[in-house]
Parts: sequence; structure tokens; C-alpha cells
Amino acid sequence: MDKNRTFNRVSRRDFLKLAGAGAASLAAGNLLAACAQRASGPVKLNVLVPAAPDPAPPGVAKFSEEAFAKWKTDNNVEVVYEAPPWPQLHDKMAANLAAGQYVHDIMYNCGWGPEFAGYLVDFVKDLPKELIDDLPASSFSTVTWDGKRLGVVFTLSLLTLFYNQEHLANAGITDPPKNWDELKGMAKQLTGGGRYGWVLNYGAPEGIGGVASYWMCFLQQAGGKLYGEDGMPAFNNEAGVDALQVMVDLMESTDPGSISYVGINDATNVFSAGQATMMMNWPFMWKPANDPATSKVVGKVGSALLPAGPAGTASIDGTDAYTIAKLSPNPDKARQLIEFYLDKEVQKRQVLDTGWLPIRLSVLNDPEVQAAAPNAVVILEQAKNPYDSFVTPDYNAVTTAIGSELQKALAGSESAADAIKNASDQVTEIVKKRGS
Amino acid sequence: MQQISEYNRRRIRMGIWFSAPAVIVLLTVLAYPILASWVLSFLRVYFAGQGLSFRFYGLTNYTELLTNQLFREALLRSIYFTLVEVIVVTFLALIVALLLNHPLGRHAFFRVVLLVPWALAPVANAVLWKWIYNANYGILNQALIGLGIIDRNIIWLGSPVLALNMILLADIWKAVPFIALLLLAGLQNIPSHLYKAARLDGANAWQQFQHVTLPGLKTTLIISIVLQSIWALKVFDLIYVLTKGSPADSTVLLNYLSWRVTFSNLDVGYGAAIANVLFVLMFILSLVYIRALRPRKTKEKVG
Amino acid sequence: MISYKHQLSRFFVRMGLAIFTCVALGPVIWAVVTSLLPLTALTSRPPDLNPLNMTLENYGLVLDSSRGLFSGLINSFIIATFTSAVGLVIGSMAAYALARLNMPGSSLILMMILATQMFPGIVIAIPLFLVMSRMGIVDTHFALILVYLSFTLPIVIWILKAFFESVPMELERAAAVDGAQPLQTFQHIVLPISLPPLFATGVFVFIEAWNEFFFAIILTRINVKTAPIAIAEFSGQYQTLYGQMLASAVLASIPVVFLAIIFRRFILEGFVEGAIKA
Repeated sequence: MDKNRTFNRVSRRDFLKLAGAGAASLAAGNLLAACAQRASGPVKLNVLVPAAPDPAPPGVAKFSEEAFAKWKTDNNVEVVYEAPPWPQLHDKMAANLAAGQYVHDIMYNCGWGPEFAGYLVDFVKDLPKELIDDLPASSFSTVTWDGKRLGVVFTLSLLTLFYNQEHLANAGITDPPKNWDELKGMAKQLTGGGRYGWVLNYGAPEGIGGVASYWMCFLQQAGGKLYGEDGMPAFNNEAGVDALQVMVDLMESTDPGSISYVGINDATNVFSAGQATMMMNWPFMWKPANDPATSKVVGKVGSALLPAGPAGTASIDGTDAYTIAKLSPNPDKARQLIEFYLDKEVQKRQVLDTGWLPIRLSVLNDPEVQAAAPNAVVILEQAKNPYDSFVTPDYNAVTTAIGSELQKALAGSESAADAIKNASDQVTEIVKKRGS
Repeated sequence: MQQISEYNRRRIRMGIWFSAPAVIVLLTVLAYPILASWVLSFLRVYFAGQGLSFRFYGLTNYTELLTNQLFREALLRSIYFTLVEVIVVTFLALIVALLLNHPLGRHAFFRVVLLVPWALAPVANAVLWKWIYNANYGILNQALIGLGIIDRNIIWLGSPVLALNMILLADIWKAVPFIALLLLAGLQNIPSHLYKAARLDGANAWQQFQHVTLPGLKTTLIISIVLQSIWALKVFDLIYVLTKGSPADSTVLLNYLSWRVTFSNLDVGYGAAIANVLFVLMFILSLVYIRALRPRKTKEKVG
Repeated sequence: MISYKHQLSRFFVRMGLAIFTCVALGPVIWAVVTSLLPLTALTSRPPDLNPLNMTLENYGLVLDSSRGLFSGLINSFIIATFTSAVGLVIGSMAAYALARLNMPGSSLILMMILATQMFPGIVIAIPLFLVMSRMGIVDTHFALILVYLSFTLPIVIWILKAFFESVPMELERAAAVDGAQPLQTFQHIVLPISLPPLFATGVFVFIEAWNEFFFAIILTRINVKTAPIAIAEFSGQYQTLYGQMLASAVLASIPVVFLAIIFRRFILEGFVEGAIKA
């Protein structure tokens, strides 16, 4: 039989041997490499951060390369970055930390500080005083748990209003909306002819940048809070319902696709194509919105404070922070690396080269920075008002529960009052479970 | 007599040697994690620092999911999803296999075409469909409006029922190639003399299909249905990329719920309980299929 | 009359094949078109499909080495090839044992093997990561090959067992009478006849190992980026670069399609042989 010859040429046993040898050599090679690394001289720091264009430090994002190289030589440190795309970070951290072994020294954190509090070092107390004084209080509030400051926010990232100046001018409006009524009115006025007054990503319920976090802006604008002194939900009241009601009222002027936009980039695409007039977004948006390669509204973008509710304007914090792992063998060197990331020059290059605003007040007030990032002034102004992200260890579970109810109300299948009540009940369950 | 039993013993020993490598791989990699998953479901797991901490929790995780409305809805949705997907995929894959088995379809070109949807990485596939379904710029809306079938954009992923079915559609598109390939291989294995005999008996094409093709494909069909059910129950990538469970948790299926609870909420015990329920579901399903359609003939022995 | 029916059925078959080709290739062609256009062209209504706008800039950006697509392709190739080869070898052996070699408790073993497939992978990720982490093989090819083998072996075994059972007993009896050991029977008689399912499962394992995503994320860090991970790099929190992502997806899918084209003779021959055999 002809076919036998093809098969006989490589007999099965030979193949097995080959495969075994191949696998063994791969494994051996990997082990050898690992051993070699352990033997060498400089201190090695493993750092987990998101890949650019999400907020990332020098070495991942392209800025301050020389300064970084100099710092590494001066301190005899080798920095190894692991930089997965942002959405993968939380899963990786959960798996790494659950394994209980040293993996990373420094980890980027975005609202997960309290959640992973047991694994993080409260290194802030060892930071130099002049650095701490130069940072706004929010730098720490979202990474503080149980009285311990576990990390430091490194970019001032608050939601503000972005609007299309041309659309407003064409409708005879001179200034962006200053309060809820103006917001609803203008959005309605600007809707029509295939364009919408408002667009946002209501598609993802959880986390910072999910629909629940957007509602928290309106909640604070109505003078409300997420939790009471006892840690139990305190938003099942007029403030909570009114906040949701604004979003519901806006739906008639909102891009209907909003309910299906999972990531903020989907909403940004609509805005940048000139098909929506207003949206809430993070400061980073300024760059791509003015980039001719991706945007049709270059030069027409304006930034303003979020419209005020009964209690004034308010926003939420993006909470991008650096934290240090307890299992790190070199927590002091790690802290020094974070100090480098927060160095004045590095922070300045951060905004000038990558578009992520600095956190240091002195750098924010630098005229060069304010010239390069016009929306920095707006952010600073917004920062004078509340911007609590209400981060707790159950942040994901809580925002998922609230977010689902909000989506039902936005889709019109539930009243705002019912949605808030259901959300409050579910959050109560979650908070109670945490204690058990 | 002695010779026969020695031959049999040798065969059994051969059998053990033959299957040992596969069993060893499976045991070493999966035994601990699967056992761990079962054990975890009876514990309350904390992320408290220094790895994981545990507390015995009895059946609380299970009673929790029995009383949880979201779990019940996810379960029903998973069942619906699986049922529809298995029926549609098997049907379509059979047609494709028959087409490719026809003299006109024997060209290698069609086999390559078959592999293309399959070759696309799931993450890319998910993003592609997200792009196709995009309310404003997706090609689906543009094409339908261009053809005059609809007059305004449909938010494919924006309404609960529609979103679930669009995910179903994307998964069906990706799943048909492998099942079709399997069925095609099965079709090739049906001896052609059976068809000749049927034709001599005066059977037309439909009767040949009924009495020669389908019985000949029985085992392959069972395998396809069982595998497809298991994969449909495990769907994850599409939900993760397309909707993240939205709108309002209407596209949350069991496997996705298990992931969300485990990785997003860090409630590992509860997530393990959900996964175990899913496992039991698949197990029972497979048993039912296999038992109900088991070929009646007994195994023959050589020699 | 016969020829009319014949022509009609040929027409339907042609239609069926045409529809099949369009449906199978349609989305993929759209992926290629998207990868060749800048985002501004795609966000116009209707999309600006003017061929003059077509650009290879997405491909250029994607092949920029910092994105790791090249190394991703190589890693995926190594992992997929090993998984497929080893999987077919030990899988077919186990399948034969269960089909023919009167193993005690073989149906129980088969059920257990299949049961491992039924476990939703996501939940075992944490314990699995724990084990691999303690073993120190996280971020190695070996770890992924091992994991993918465990995912695909059950299916390989199950499918091949069914086919081996359908091999006519006379052939094996004849070989036994001639004095062949079970190993030789397997190697020289059964395997050559089973080329179609062997190739089907071989291709299956290759594709599954190539495309697997979730465990690749959890079990790798820097050194062993696979192709799907490289593709996913374009989907961040603030930006999904559709054009580049689909460009990398197209590039990453080419090797598999290429392999299919190379092996089409084997696949085709196997089918033809299967038809003639009886």
C-alpha cells in the first residue's frame, strides 16, 4: 500500500522522541534563562502597566527616555515592563496576586486599590514631603483604604464636558451649558438631521468609565453620595433619582447607539466624526480629537466644566495610580522609581509628549503646560469641586449592579425611581456580603 | 486457549501503554485545577494578602445561586443559546458538507474557504463582528439601508433580545466550518457501494439520504452535537468583546457570569459554584445524547 | 427527464456553493477592506470605500516591531505545531486503545476524558496559574503547549476513536493472522485509512492552539506573546484601532490558511482514497 511509505518515513517512535526532545529543550532553555537573570548584578524591578496610549510611564510611553536611562544607571536598576492592553490588567492582577508569589514590584491601579489592599504597601508615608505637598488630596483618596495610603495617582484625570464649537455656533449658542436645564435644552436643540446632542458609552456597567461611574457625576452634582457613614448605600433618595432622571431625559437627544457602546472609544468615534455635539470624556481625549488622522472635528473642540446640578458641578476621578506590592523584595527601590515617575520634569514631558495631564500642582500651573493642553485649565477648575469615585473593595460588583439597573431605566423599561431602589437593594446585599 | 488469553493480555497491556501518555497529560494539567474548582465552591475565598485565604462555607455558594435571579436568567439564556446554536449549526454544516461532497464541490478551493472563518482568531472575530454590528458605521446597517430593507440604523447590540441573537449569529458563523469538516469526513467514510445498492433498489436522492447517508453519519452527528453543545455553553469571547453582558445583563450567559464573578468581583468560591453547575449541565447533556443514540452493536474482538 | 432533474440539482448545488462562499468569505473580505482604509473613511456615512483612499499604513504600523506581531506569529507557530503533532500522536494512540484494545473500564475512561472538556476553562485559570507559577513555567512555550494539549486531547481521542471503530474488522483480523502486533496493525493498517479524520483533528488542534486567547493572557507575560495577544494589543481602554487590529488579524490568519493550502493535497487525497476504498 502506497500510503504506508509516507508514514513509515517518520516512524511514530522517532516522532515521539523528537517531540519529547523539543519540549524538554524548550523547558530547559527557559529555565536556564531564568537562572541567568537571577545571577546578574543590578536590582531588577518588574512593573505592570497598561500599554500606550493608556496612561503609561517612560519606557512604555515615549517620553523622558534620556532621563529614564540616566535614572536607571544612577540607581543601578533594571526595569522590566509588562504592558498588556488596559482591559487585561485586572484579570492578570487577580491571577498573579491569588498565586501568592512575587511577580511585580510596581502595579498600575485604576480603582482597584481598596480591592487589593491586602497586597499593597502603604509607601506614601515614606515619600518626600515636598512631593506630597505638591499633590492634591485626590492623589491619595481613591487609593486609601482602612486609613492607609497605598498608592499615588499620577495623572489628573477628571471627566469634563467636551463639545463641538462649530455645532454650537451654528445653532446660535455662544457658551456651553452651565446647568442641567441648559444641557437638556441645548442637546435637544442640537439634535436633528442625523446628528445628536449627546453621546456616551452606556454599554458597559462596571468600573471607572462605565455607566455607573457616569451617573456618579450627576449624583454628586445633585449633592448626593454613594455611601453613608456606615458604609451602606445612601443614594436611594431624591439626589440619586434626579441624577438618573437627567440621563433619562437626555435620551431623546442621545445617539441611540450609546446603549451599545461598550468602550468610550466608540462614543469618541461618533463625536470625532462630527455626529454628536457633546459628551463627557477624560482629558486624554483632547489629543485624538485634534488629530487629523482620526478626527474630522480638528480645531473645533471645546472643553468646559460639567453642567451643574442643584449642588453645583462635580465629576469623578480616573484614579490612575501606581502601587507597590507587599511581596516585592525591593520596596524602597520601587518607591524611588515612583518618585522618578512623579519628578517635575518627567511629569511635564508626560503631558507635553503623551497628552496625560500631570498630577503635581506646580506642573499644572506651569504656563507652558497650560499652553500645550488648553483643557488643563478646565480640569483644574473642575478639581475645585467634588470628584469622588467612591472606590471600595467591591467597586466592580457594586458598579455592575448599579449599572445594570441604570441601563434598564435608560432603555425605558424601568422608571428611574424603581431602578435606583433596585440598585440600592443590590448594593446593600453586596456590602453585607463583604462583611461576612 | 492459553495463546488466545496471552494475546488478549498483551493487547490489554498494549492498550494501557497506548493510552498512558494522553491520560498522564490530562491528569497532570487538569486534575488539580478541576478538583480545586470543586473544593473552592464550598469555601468563601478572600483576597486578603499572601495569596488566597479561605473559610469553610458549606453549601452557601450553591444556595446563593439557586436564589439569585441573575443566575436563573443566565441559565435559561444559556440553554436557549445552546439549543438554537446546535440545531442551526448542525443543519447548516450538514448542508455545507453535502455541497462539498458533491462532485461540483470537490475542489480544494472550497475546503480552503471553509477554513477561513475558522482560522480567524476569536478575539479578531469578535472585534470584526462588533465592527459589523456597529450602530453607526457597521456594514450591516449600511448594507441594509443601502438595499432599502430598513430605513434607519438598528442598534443591533442595544436591545436585550436582539443583542443575544446577534451574538448567536456570530458564533454560528464561526462554528459551522469545523462541524462541516467533521461531517464531510464522515460522509467520505460511507462506503459508496451502499449508495449503489440503494440506487439499484430504486431509491431516489431523498430516500438515499434518509436510509444511507443519515445512518452512516450517526456517530459523527452525535459527536458533532455533543461537542457543539459543550462549546455553545462555554461561549465567552464574543460576550466579552461585543457587549460585556449588556444591555442590562441580558447577554450574560453562564460561563461569562462565572468569569465576571471570579475575576471581576473576586468572589472565587461563588464563581467556582457557577462553573460546577455548568459542568454538571454539560455532563448530563452528553450522557443523555450518548445514551439515547448509542449504536446497538456490541464490540467485536479480534482473534 | 433524468438530465433535467440532473441539471436542476446541479443548479441548486452551484447556488449553494456560491452562497456558502459569500457567507464564509464576506465578513473576512470586509475585515481586509477595513484594514486597508483609514478610520476617517470608515466613519463617514456611507463609508468612503473609494479605492483611492486605500493605504497600507495600518499594515505598516502593525508590522512595526514594537507591537510584537512577528514574534507573536513565531510563538504561535511553535506552540500550535507542537501541540498538534504531539496531540495527534498520543491522541490517536489513546483512541486506538479505547477503540480496539479491550481496555478495562474503557467507557469510563472515555467519559472522564470527555468530562475534562466540559469544564468551563475560565474558572480553572486561577488554580492552573498557581500550579504553573509554583513550577516556574509561567511565560514559557512549554506551559502553553501542555495546557492546549489538555484542552484538545479529549476531542482528538473522541473523534478518532469513532473512526477507528468504523474501520472494518476484516483488515485488522487479516493483519493479526499474518502475525502483526497491535502496534504494527495500528501503524500500517489503521492509520493510513484514517487520514481524513486525522487531518481534520490535526488542523483542529492547530487552529485551537493558534487562536486560544484567555489562557494565553493569564499564563504569559513578556516572552511568549502569541498571535491573538498581539492582535488584542490594539484594543485598549481609550482606543480601539479597528484598522490596525483587523490588519493584524488578517496577517495572523494567513499562516493557517496557507497551511490549509499546502496540505490540501493530503486532505483531498485522503478523501478520494476514502471514497475508493470500499
